[in-house]
Amino acid sequence: MENKTEHDLRLLQLRFIGKILASFTHEIKNHIAIIKESAGLMEDMIKLKQSSNKNEDEYIEIIHSIEEQVEKTNNLFRYLNRFSHRMDTVLSSFNVNESLEELSALLNRFANQKKIVIEKFFQDDIPSIQNNPAILQFLVFHLFMQKMARLDRNSRISIKTEYLNESITIRIITKGTPVNVEKEEEELPHHVQAYILEQIGGSISGENEDVKITLPLRL
Amino acid sequence: MPQQTKVLLVDDEIEFVTALAERLQLRNYDVRYATNALEAISSINTYGPDVIILDLKIPGMDGIEILKTIKKLHQTIEVIMLTGHGDTKSVEEGMKSGAFEYIMKPIDIAELTSKIDKAKKRRNQMKDLSE
Repeated sequence: MENKTEHDLRLLQLRFIGKILASFTHEIKNHIAIIKESAGLMEDMIKLKQSSNKNEDEYIEIIHSIEEQVEKTNNLFRYLNRFSHRMDTVLSSFNVNESLEELSALLNRFANQKKIVIEKFFQDDIPSIQNNPAILQFLVFHLFMQKMARLDRNSRISIKTEYLNESITIRIITKGTPVNVEKEEEELPHHVQAYILEQIGGSISGENEDVKITLPLRL
Repeated sequence: MPQQTKVLLVDDEIEFVTALAERLQLRNYDVRYATNALEAISSINTYGPDVIILDLKIPGMDGIEILKTIKKLHQTIEVIMLTGHGDTKSVEEGMKSGAFEYIMKPIDIAELTSKIDKAKKRRNQMKDLSE
């Protein structure tokens, strides 16, 4: 039974990684498109505009826009790099806020597509935990996508962390108009979710549309 | 002197759309842009473009539905889709829904202007036929 569950989990993890990569490459492509158009515009201004019309301020503005896009691209690469390294070892010591920060950056495009705003309320001084960060991100991703599928456009999803009673809690709170979902594509099969909770030593509880994951400091 | 081709750019990335608009203006096109569906529909009615460059992945809107609406209400306006690499499903659906052409981001300006010119030519032919 466990082998089948592990097999199902691996397949779902591959799908998750595929989705994250597709979203990431789409975002990067957009930034590159802006950089290319901005550089092209500078070339056009030199070649096609009358020299008397050349405006130094306009060049500076375009250069700043290019720098801004490079910075955004660099941040996304940094998040993807950290996300990839979460899979290096099964158990590691990590900060939950940082792992959620990078996940939410990589999830941003999915939220943008539905004009859903992701809000983060992270407790600053939470201690690092020893756990499996890759599988935790996978679980949060599914819960998040599940919530998002059930929300109408222009809604909000808050991710909140808290350190209480030697445990870390992650809450996913939704604000908006619910919509009916015909097919629960993002819902994790029950046996996979139970297996994950066993692996991370955690629990899930829910109130109305909100969900809370509780994690121990150490496994 | 031939009339300028009126181009409407629809893309939510403001930096992208403003730079592209200026590049096309420098090539003697008459250009407007919209960054969401409402602005796009309003611009189509008030500006009356010959060609629309439509990003299919604008947040909060279904690009294919917008394309279908445009083609239903304004048959002779030609639409060139802006897509990402690997987005073959959307391209196929868009072409079936009446798009004239598609171009991938990051774009090649010479390829884009060539497609705009061909689209304008077809729009003129279609207008002639309907008169």
